[in-house]
Amino acid sequence: MMDWIAMTTGFILILMGLYGALTHRNILRIIVSFTLANTGVNLVLVSVGYMLGRTAPILDKAVPMAEAVTRIIDPLPQALVLTAIVIGLGITAMMLTYAYKLYEAKGSLDIASYRELKW
Amino acid sequence: MIRNFAVLLLLLGLAGIFIHLMQGYIPATELNQSAHYYAAHSAEDLGAANIVTAIIVTYRGLDTLGEVTVLFLAATIIGMVLANGHKAQRSLQRQLPPSGELLTTASRLLTPLILLFGAYVFVNGHLTPGGGFQGGAILASAALLLLLTDPLKRFSHRLIAVVESLSGLLFIAIGVLGMVLAGGFLDSRILPTGAFGTLFSAGSIPLIYSLIGLKVGAEFTSMLNNLAETEKS
Amino acid sequence: MVNPLYILAIGLGGAFLLGLLPNRQRSLAYAITLACLAGMAGIAASWLYAFALQGAPAMEVFTAGTQPPFAINFRIGLAESTLALLTLLVGLHSALFMRKTLITQGRRAMAVLLIFMMALCGVIFTRDLFNLFVFMELCVIATAGLVLLSTDQRALGAGLKYLIVSQLVSILLLVGIVFLYHSTGALNIDTMAALSVNALPGGAMAFFLVFIAVLAELKPFPANGWGLDIYESAHPAFSAIFSTATGGATLYAADKLLQLGGDTWLPVVTVIGIVTFIAANIFALAQRNDRRLLGYSSVGQIGLLLSVVGQRDLLGDAYYYIAGGLLLAHAVSKAGLFWLSGLVAQRELTAWAALRSQPVMVFAFATLLALLLGLPPFPGFYAKWDLAQQLAANDKLWLLGLILFGTLLEATYLLRWFGYTIKRDADEQGLVWQSGKADVVFSAVMAAWLLAYLWGYLSGHGNLLHAIPLLFALAFLPLEWLPAKLKNVLAIGGLLAWFYFNYPDYDPLKLIFAAVMLPGGALILLASFQHGKRRLGFYPAAMLMFAGLAMLINAHTSFDFFAAWELLTMGSYFLILRGKHSEPHALSYLVFSLGGAFLIMAGFAIAAQGAPEFPLTALAEVATAYAPWVFVLLAIGFMTKTAAVGVHIWLPGAHAEAETDVSPMVSGILLKAGLFGLFMLLITMGKQQLYGVELTHVLLWIGALSALIGNLIAIFQEDAKRLLAYSSIGQMGYAVFGLALMNHLGWLMALMFVINHYIYKSMLFLSVGGVAKRTGTRLMYRMGGLITLMPLSFIAVLVGIIAMSGVPPLSGFGGRWVLYNAIMTTEQRLPMVIIFLAGPIAFLYLFRLIHTVFLGQMKDELRKVREAPFWIVLPQMIFVAFLLAFALVPGLLLRRVDTYMNQFFAGSGGLDWTGLTITSDFGYWSPVQIMIIIAVIFVTLFLWLLFVNRKAQKVKQFNIVFAAERPYRPETTHFAWDFFAPYRRALGFLTVPVFERFWAAVAEFLHALADTLRRFYTGNGQTYAIHVLGFVIIVYLLMMGDQP
Repeated sequence: MMDWIAMTTGFILILMGLYGALTHRNILRIIVSFTLANTGVNLVLVSVGYMLGRTAPILDKAVPMAEAVTRIIDPLPQALVLTAIVIGLGITAMMLTYAYKLYEAKGSLDIASYRELKW
Repeated sequence: MIRNFAVLLLLLGLAGIFIHLMQGYIPATELNQSAHYYAAHSAEDLGAANIVTAIIVTYRGLDTLGEVTVLFLAATIIGMVLANGHKAQRSLQRQLPPSGELLTTASRLLTPLILLFGAYVFVNGHLTPGGGFQGGAILASAALLLLLTDPLKRFSHRLIAVVESLSGLLFIAIGVLGMVLAGGFLDSRILPTGAFGTLFSAGSIPLIYSLIGLKVGAEFTSMLNNLAETEKS
Repeated sequence: MVNPLYILAIGLGGAFLLGLLPNRQRSLAYAITLACLAGMAGIAASWLYAFALQGAPAMEVFTAGTQPPFAINFRIGLAESTLALLTLLVGLHSALFMRKTLITQGRRAMAVLLIFMMALCGVIFTRDLFNLFVFMELCVIATAGLVLLSTDQRALGAGLKYLIVSQLVSILLLVGIVFLYHSTGALNIDTMAALSVNALPGGAMAFFLVFIAVLAELKPFPANGWGLDIYESAHPAFSAIFSTATGGATLYAADKLLQLGGDTWLPVVTVIGIVTFIAANIFALAQRNDRRLLGYSSVGQIGLLLSVVGQRDLLGDAYYYIAGGLLLAHAVSKAGLFWLSGLVAQRELTAWAALRSQPVMVFAFATLLALLLGLPPFPGFYAKWDLAQQLAANDKLWLLGLILFGTLLEATYLLRWFGYTIKRDADEQGLVWQSGKADVVFSAVMAAWLLAYLWGYLSGHGNLLHAIPLLFALAFLPLEWLPAKLKNVLAIGGLLAWFYFNYPDYDPLKLIFAAVMLPGGALILLASFQHGKRRLGFYPAAMLMFAGLAMLINAHTSFDFFAAWELLTMGSYFLILRGKHSEPHALSYLVFSLGGAFLIMAGFAIAAQGAPEFPLTALAEVATAYAPWVFVLLAIGFMTKTAAVGVHIWLPGAHAEAETDVSPMVSGILLKAGLFGLFMLLITMGKQQLYGVELTHVLLWIGALSALIGNLIAIFQEDAKRLLAYSSIGQMGYAVFGLALMNHLGWLMALMFVINHYIYKSMLFLSVGGVAKRTGTRLMYRMGGLITLMPLSFIAVLVGIIAMSGVPPLSGFGGRWVLYNAIMTTEQRLPMVIIFLAGPIAFLYLFRLIHTVFLGQMKDELRKVREAPFWIVLPQMIFVAFLLAFALVPGLLLRRVDTYMNQFFAGSGGLDWTGLTITSDFGYWSPVQIMIIIAVIFVTLFLWLLFVNRKAQKVKQFNIVFAAERPYRPETTHFAWDFFAPYRRALGFLTVPVFERFWAAVAEFLHALADTLRRFYTGNGQTYAIHVLGFVIIVYLLMMGDQP
């Protein structure tokens, strides 16, 4: 059940984030919306690796090496989500930089005011 | 209005796609082939107690190199973009009110502790939850705290650059050593795997994670530094 | 071999190393960057060498000392090493091109560039899905960084739009990857591929998300507004990388993913690709900005490649040859053009006229355009040919048709741009000449020629760059510095020598065509002696055309034939473009010719049905199911060249506006290529029926109508060269008519037209050209009375029109005589009546040439004109002599052909050539007798006139125009203006330019469509993201709606 709830929440977060990103005109709000959507993606990623009744993939006294196969959840999505978070952060940083430069150039953060290039 | 409606409609379509995706999703009851391999072999082969760390640093070490590069790239671009504008603006900075006794004292007290904690987190990445990225982020939070205390404080660009570059170069060097001494690029078995569960175990994983920690800390600090310099206040 | 991981290690290590340098040491940083790029490229090159020349097998590279799918692995094979080398070389050259920008921006920019290159290589090498994602995101961030190198402020907006779209794409990609991992339990592409993803629960859906996200990165229509904005505003050297290296790497990623998704996805890829190709090329029609135009072209080319990727199942072994040829052609040409755009100061297409100040840049531009368009001898040509063969053999004609249509659109806007470059006013400051940057462009040009050689070498059809005529033509490029007269001697010598050495191999039919084209061309080239200086661009173009003609006659296979056809088309296009006002006409000529050429290609492809080599003689054995269609396609293609009515509208402008010595070449010689094709077609395929319609009867009608309408429009022309041009349409109509009669005499007559039309049309164009040169006008009513001033030209025109109008005693009469004999043997009465009617009409316009130009009153301003230059008159006099000789003894040339033709018509209806008399079933023709009789009558009448008029009084000339007020349009009062007004009232309805209006409406429609539809790219980043989302959902609904 947990994984379904997490996954559904993740998808809803993605949709909410995208709705925000596609309807708000302020660039900073767009960036925040995308961060929200990225969080949703990360949630989905983690929920895919989840398995009922198992524990974190760290071997210690509680989870001896021999029982690892039956006791731990899938470790790979956890590794992937770390990468995804970092990449999301990199892109967010880029977008913020752009927002700063755009504001510096034109004094506006309305995405609709950057339409010189078209057609 | 029409636009919002269109977006809503399209997102409904996307929701349909997601529902379709979830319909095909059958929760696993057994570990799949990859996960099974990691669960069964990583402790034995690499000597890392934290399987996620083993995956991140060794099995999928190339991804991690990519991640580090993403941060380096972002920091570099931010530096490149913001370096052009801000020099002239320094003089415009107005005098800020002092940040208060409480904050100043607390930051003096906390900064070394935070740094220590960060180092602890990345050094122990192969044993406990945590690792280079988390540790690096904690390191950078010390820088953030200092900036909050004194918004005009600046860290040495030179030092940051040396740390980020050197740790990156060493990371690659260790990766290449893996090709020369062990089974392939980023193979962590260039150092002995040691006794399972101790600090000096898991081959080069702690070393790599420490380098990542330093690098991530340096990248974040550099980004914060650069972004702080854009402040016209 | 060096482990390919070192490519990544060098790139990354270099980038990190740059961080250690002090910011001041920019030159050192730049040197390190270049060294790293060169080192990476060197490794890629060593792999390419191993795979291509030593036949090494593809290699798997493991990381982490663990086997896939548990660790990430790389694969390097021929395709990977080629792409990596391409990527790195483009990167290296772009770095050289951006030297100044990079040094100004400092080490950080260089580090970003290095990482970008490394990431692209990673995308190419990796076999792990998530690793692919990581490298793609690295590319995204690096792209966003490098876009900022532009000095154009608008690039900021473009970069942000790109980031917004990539966020959306990466969300879809990540969700897809993790679900795909869940379905398959692995992230390794090969492991996943072995599991047949579509069968697994949730697998197809997860794959859909991954795949559509990668496709969205390829800028498919309509989700590509962001890409175009980047192309328009980024630094051109970065656009070069973005278009070629990013495009190539992402395309290869899509190709890898397809191995995972299986063949069910190929049709989707094909449709997305071809829609993008067509849409991008339509939109590009309305572009005025060079870089945005190149952007549209890039998007289109990637679309084309995508649709080729969609054919990978049926292309088999040829897949990499075809896709590789198209990709490399796209990459090298697009990179070269973007670099070149960095040398042009202004962004308007017309601003490229500035290239003319450095003729070698014009050569570079032409090479790159030809490479992009897939013209021979460049790789795209071989690739498209093979692709067409495979598509036709597998019943994918709709796709072939769309590809050819898109290519035609592309040719239209690219060559219109070339036309601007050659013809528009050049801004003196328009070229930002920097030798370092120019060298980068030249390396692209060199790569283009190397690839041309390589693809020819690998081709199963023989290497075009081994063809002596083509090499001879190309040899004039390095010889451009020689004086024109010397080059002319070389050109004439080359034509005659080729004819001499090939003479024994020609059969009588080919001999006639060869004689008209080669020694005939040499004869016309005599007129070119009157040009001094260097005459840049003339000889390569002219010799390219002659090379095409020479190769056309020698062609034995459909490939050779088509290659020759395209060469002569291109050569003649460049030649026509040289005329002073010929810019639009050359373009319309080229568009029609290429359109015709594509029909020919399609026809051959259908005929071959996948046979690797298709001899022209095998046209006779095409299966009856296809034969009529092959016939129709080839016939329309050839008739585009002969300017049959309907597709004739290019001819008048092209022939009339060409230079004095070019008009006779393109009229007298080039038109015969179409007739040669028709001969070849009818000899092999004979009569064909489509839906019960006898196709040769359709040809008969087309020929008759061309003759009538061409002649009719000719009589209403005021411009002497246009008059001659329209008359060519009529004359070619006769020839087509004769061929379509499908009997011995009809063909003989067509052959006589080949010879006659060459002689008198060349001669008339030369004399009219000479007159126009001296008088400064081509409008006939502004001339008059030139008989005394230009007597030799007068003689040439007189002889020419006698020959042409078909009155005795000259050879035109022989032509008519054979024609009428031929007509008698056919049952088609109505077209026959039309042909009869066309005869006298021809006389009406020819009469004007003498009457209005040479007779009548002399214009004041023309009192001092002299005879045409010697070198223009000389060939005319040779033609006169030749006409007389051919009139006296036509048998010299025709007798052998006549016997040759017996094999096709089983001995029936031939002529009897005893002595000097020629006898047919209906009567006889004795040229010598006729000549003597006419001469006697003429001399008698002439002497009598002299005698009668011996006391005639000379009348002074004055012009009543100036007797009163000056009329609003002076020419309306001139008796020779609108000379045939009464006829116009009676027959004018036949000359209504329906076809001109039709084609103009087509062009207008396409341009209006482009201008309306492109407004869809509103420039708003959110709208672009919505487009991407809409694209995903549309593909989902079409593709996945009914799947579990």
